[in-house]
Amino acid sequence: MDYFVDSFLAALRLIFQFDPKVYQIAWTSLEISLTATVFAALIAVPAGVWSASQEFAGKRLLRQSLNALMSMPTVMIGLIFYGLFSRRGPLGDFALLYTPVAVIIGEAVLIFPLIMNLAMTAVESADPRLLPTLRSLGASSVQQFRLVLSETRLALLVAIAAGFGRAIGEVGTAMMLGGNIQGLTRTMTTAIALETSKGEFELGLALGMMLLLVAFAVNWLLRSVDRGAG
Amino acid sequence: MVFAYGDKPALTIDHLSIHAGRITALIGPNGAGKSTLLNLFAFLIHPDAGEIYFCGQRVRREDILALRRRVGLVAQNPYLLQGSVIDNVELGLRLRGVGKEQRRRSAMAAMERVGLAGFEKRSVKALSGGEKQRVALARALAPEPEVLLFDEPFTYLDQSNMHLVEQVISNHTRKSGKTVVFSTHEQIQGIALADESISLFAGRSVGAPLVNLFRGTLRNGVFDTGKLVIHVLRTWDQGSYLAVDPEGVVLSLGPLDSSLRNSFRGRIIMIAEEAGRARITVDIGERMHARVTLESLHNLRLGLGKEVWVSFKATAVRVF
Repeated sequence: MDYFVDSFLAALRLIFQFDPKVYQIAWTSLEISLTATVFAALIAVPAGVWSASQEFAGKRLLRQSLNALMSMPTVMIGLIFYGLFSRRGPLGDFALLYTPVAVIIGEAVLIFPLIMNLAMTAVESADPRLLPTLRSLGASSVQQFRLVLSETRLALLVAIAAGFGRAIGEVGTAMMLGGNIQGLTRTMTTAIALETSKGEFELGLALGMMLLLVAFAVNWLLRSVDRGAG
Repeated sequence: MVFAYGDKPALTIDHLSIHAGRITALIGPNGAGKSTLLNLFAFLIHPDAGEIYFCGQRVRREDILALRRRVGLVAQNPYLLQGSVIDNVELGLRLRGVGKEQRRRSAMAAMERVGLAGFEKRSVKALSGGEKQRVALARALAPEPEVLLFDEPFTYLDQSNMHLVEQVISNHTRKSGKTVVFSTHEQIQGIALADESISLFAGRSVGAPLVNLFRGTLRNGVFDTGKLVIHVLRTWDQGSYLAVDPEGVVLSLGPLDSSLRNSFRGRIIMIAEEAGRARITVDIGERMHARVTLESLHNLRLGLGKEVWVSFKATAVRVF
């Protein structure tokens, strides 16, 4: 127990004395996950909103596919992209493996189905009178799309935040595609997973607390959006 | 034209015309298909079979957007977008690409017409039910559509708002020569306000007003409701509903020697004033309503409990 308490105190010291190692790792995490979220959301949100507003054959299949993709083990994504990015793979020439870009791509692909699914739910949970009202006022398909985006923006924000939360907590993909390289692809999650076993327990604890802080912050954001809207 | 939600047709109409420049009321009980018909008129849904003609032109899918912009619909329980009152009222104009100044002018004019001047910047969240209805009304009026449709405009309103809506409806045609169609389940209101009325029942358009409506079986020119046997024209060969036009119902103090094929004795159970005349309800086994002038009411000394004879021609009867 002493070991735990001592390490805990040491971790707090690392955080409040702005230890550069801790903050660099935290920053790397944020950079990578935010970038991944932005790219994923840029496609997933419009795609989700559009699909939910239209009637088309195969809509149910789409939904089922999204659900299936969401439940895929993340190591699979790591594995597939590892194969794509490695020297001998089809995208090997781009030398993406073990770079932040690879992790960003991996995380973006990981959270895409989640964000799109939640975006579709956001539109479906919107007031059922919204679309008929827009149509009766003479909105074209594009106008309907823009206005639905606007009317459901809070729920869409929740979808994006959920995607971010998922990305920043991701270990497997970040490890396989990033390689935990210091200063480059060492994220909070990979550091906790890999540094701790090398004896860097205080670092692991400090990073764990920062990760928790981020998770709580996202949660708090989601809750206040909920309260504001309700 | 047929429209179906799922298997059963919600509306089956052989032929129906709405005249331009007039106020038409769609009258019928809930579930009769009034909302469905209004949605078809607003081009929000397409018939599964048959055609719609607008201003003489056949309606095709490609024209839908342009047509929707010529028709305004005020829903029974309207949805307002997040934001301010003026945001909502200007919406239809914004969608049509109207410039900022013209938009503001038209929107303000529409708001004046519904008594919402000064409400521009108010958030829709802070509005009362009646105010929300008026915003939706202003929103539909602002683009000045050729046709204005109302789905049960009087249901959720209080007296003063009702009066306002009636005024807006009547001004829309009288002053601008445009067309209004509204639906209601209140027979009286419909007839009082409208130039023409169409009765809907169970998805069909029926010529008869829906007072004196009975269910039963028809055979060989005789309709049996279980309590009453009514003679109808032989031209009716099928149907399980029957309506008697209250204008064709004659009340007398004794049996009539006449050509009226249907004659029943009963007791007056209700007298009410309606649109300047008296509506008298007689229990002849079923409840039958007749309308007489207030003068006749006094001359015949009709009162509650009095025994009278109810007669009507077979031609006053409709079967469907």
